[in-house]
Amino acid sequence: MAEQDIVNLVNGVFMESFEIPGEKLVPEAKIFTDLGLDSLDIVDLVVALQKKFGVTMRDDERVRAIRTLEDIYNFIQILKQENRK
Amino acid sequence: MHSIKHYDHIVVGGGISGLSLSLLLGMTGNKVLLLEKGKNIGGALFRFRRNGIPFDTGFHFTGGFYKNGILNDMLTVLGIHDRIHPLVFSGPGASRFVFESEQEAFDIPVGIDNLIPVLKKRFPREHAAIDRYFDLIRRVCANTTAMNLRKTMMLADTMDEDFVSLQEVLDQLTGNELLKGFCCGYCMCYGVKPSEISFANHARVAVGLYETLARVKDGGDAFIQAFQERFKAYDIEIRCNTSIEHCIEIRDQQVRTFLLSDGEEVAAKFCIFTIHPQEVLKILPREHFSKAFRDRVDAFEPSLGFFSAHGVVEDCKPDDDFGPSIVSLYPLPNLNTLLSPEYDGPQALVMLRNKESADGKVYNVVTAFEPSFREHVAPWRDSSVGKRPKGYRDYKERRMNLIHQRFTEYYPEYKNSFKIIDAASMLTFRDYLHSPEGCAYGIKQKIGQFNLFGKLPLSNIYVAGQSAVMPGIVGAMISSFIVTRSLVGKEKYGQFIEERLAH
Ligand SMILES: Cc1cc2nc3c(=O)[nH]c(=O)nc-3n(C[C@H](O)[C@H](O)[C@H](O)COP(=O)(O)OP(=O)(O)OC[C@H]3O[C@@H](n4cnc5c(N)ncnc54)[C@H](O)[C@@H]3O)c2cc1C
Repeated sequence: MAEQDIVNLVNGVFMESFEIPGEKLVPEAKIFTDLGLDSLDIVDLVVALQKKFGVTMRDDERVRAIRTLEDIYNFIQILKQENRK
Repeated sequence: MHSIKHYDHIVVGGGISGLSLSLLLGMTGNKVLLLEKGKNIGGALFRFRRNGIPFDTGFHFTGGFYKNGILNDMLTVLGIHDRIHPLVFSGPGASRFVFESEQEAFDIPVGIDNLIPVLKKRFPREHAAIDRYFDLIRRVCANTTAMNLRKTMMLADTMDEDFVSLQEVLDQLTGNELLKGFCCGYCMCYGVKPSEISFANHARVAVGLYETLARVKDGGDAFIQAFQERFKAYDIEIRCNTSIEHCIEIRDQQVRTFLLSDGEEVAAKFCIFTIHPQEVLKILPREHFSKAFRDRVDAFEPSLGFFSAHGVVEDCKPDDDFGPSIVSLYPLPNLNTLLSPEYDGPQALVMLRNKESADGKVYNVVTAFEPSFREHVAPWRDSSVGKRPKGYRDYKERRMNLIHQRFTEYYPEYKNSFKIIDAASMLTFRDYLHSPEGCAYGIKQKIGQFNLFGKLPLSNIYVAGQSAVMPGIVGAMISSFIVTRSLVGKEKYGQFIEERLAH
């Protein structure tokens, strides 16, 4: 999947599932401070991303290390590659 | 200005989870209000009586009654250990799996250490697979902190076995379909297919059943009475026929006051739901949750349900051997097939025999149940208790007759003395237990799924119950212990548990 597709789909999740306006969705946006999610939203975010991308994510240190939208794009990219193997 | 009643905690749902939670919170010094929608507390622990004979509904047997076993420890902490008397399924033929297509029967002894040699004898070429299977089961459970009250840590990180299905693990271990069938036999005790349950959750439920499978004297009544007595000591208020109508005042993402269905407005610092997750969202204001959250909850699927038949073997003499025993008939070794709604062959059948005494009389009681799915009762789903159409009554009759026939084929000696007195379908369970589909174990706990558990985005609202951590009464109780830990704080909780276990 091309990088831009991942960006669009991830942003789509934030817009549809968390009702966050598109203009806030810049790569450096911090998920907790800039986008207003809290730690309890993370599970829902993971579930929504899993569904969107057909991948399995574990609630592990890699998920917990996520801070910005860009971190998510990169993480999905890696998962997609892992899945292809 | 009117004054309203203030509580520390409102607990919604009076099943084993809500009862455990209310008592734990009361014991740790809180003022608790327990709300139960039904006429009585107990939920699936409830027993009904026909002709003076008590019959179990949603609690027939459990695992976990062994030294330092999780159930023993939880009962000790709750102070009801001496009120619950396990009746272990032990002795020849007391616990058995029968694979009908293969004409194979396995007598299951008490304890993994005794079971391993039995399996090795039957499967001489599968020793490595058998050892590995039980090693894995034990390892998962040893690493699951929630299953050990003596470790007061929060749920640990998930482990690899949470992300691989029971089926995948078995496929790697062996090509022997019968051995795989045996290892999947307890799928009925959590209501999810081998291909959909994580190996870890399978292990967490199955371990207790392998170690000691037991009934409880007087079934769920023993629990209900024990809780009722303990409640008095802690001034726990119970209101039956009552639920939360809606949340009145919400400030700073916290619900301050609630309107109860009896018309009263009450305030509470915390409210904990132990009911089906999808029912929780019917009560809370949906607009306070993200769409992602609502989608997650809406996507939960129902677990397995049961059709159960309840009867007696008449002309019993007090010293007749009548269990307790449990025999599970599996028409095929493939549990994935047997637990599919589309499957239309003969169902798996669990047959329980036990002696029950009531009012000075002794009865030989039989409970038999088969898997059921909402598809089986779909035509009558809009009907309610006492107003079911003829088609539904015919359906019930058909299944009862079939169960009677299979039971007496297995036990020909009861051909003329076995009488079915009543039966319950998924609609019966739905309407009496106030669960959306009448399934036995709440939501289907699928691999990779994130259950609804603990604190919600409305930050003084929590969720526990059988759909939260692990199905069955042990799982429902564990969820209540974990939520208590969050609510009272880990230090206070740790101290409390330690003191109680030292008793
Ligand atoms: C036929 C059958 C057989 C089973 N056999 C076994 C078994 O042998 N061993 C085992 O371990 N498990 C068994 N189970 C599963 C076991 O019964 C459950 O896992 C366990 O009892 C669940 O406890 P709980 O407290 O989470 O829920 P429940 O017992 O369902 O309690 C929930 C309570 O909440 C109430 N309620 C619902 N909505 C509201 C509301 N809006 N407001 C207030 N109250 C509400 C309900 O009336 C109910 O009393 C069986 C289940 C069934 C149906």
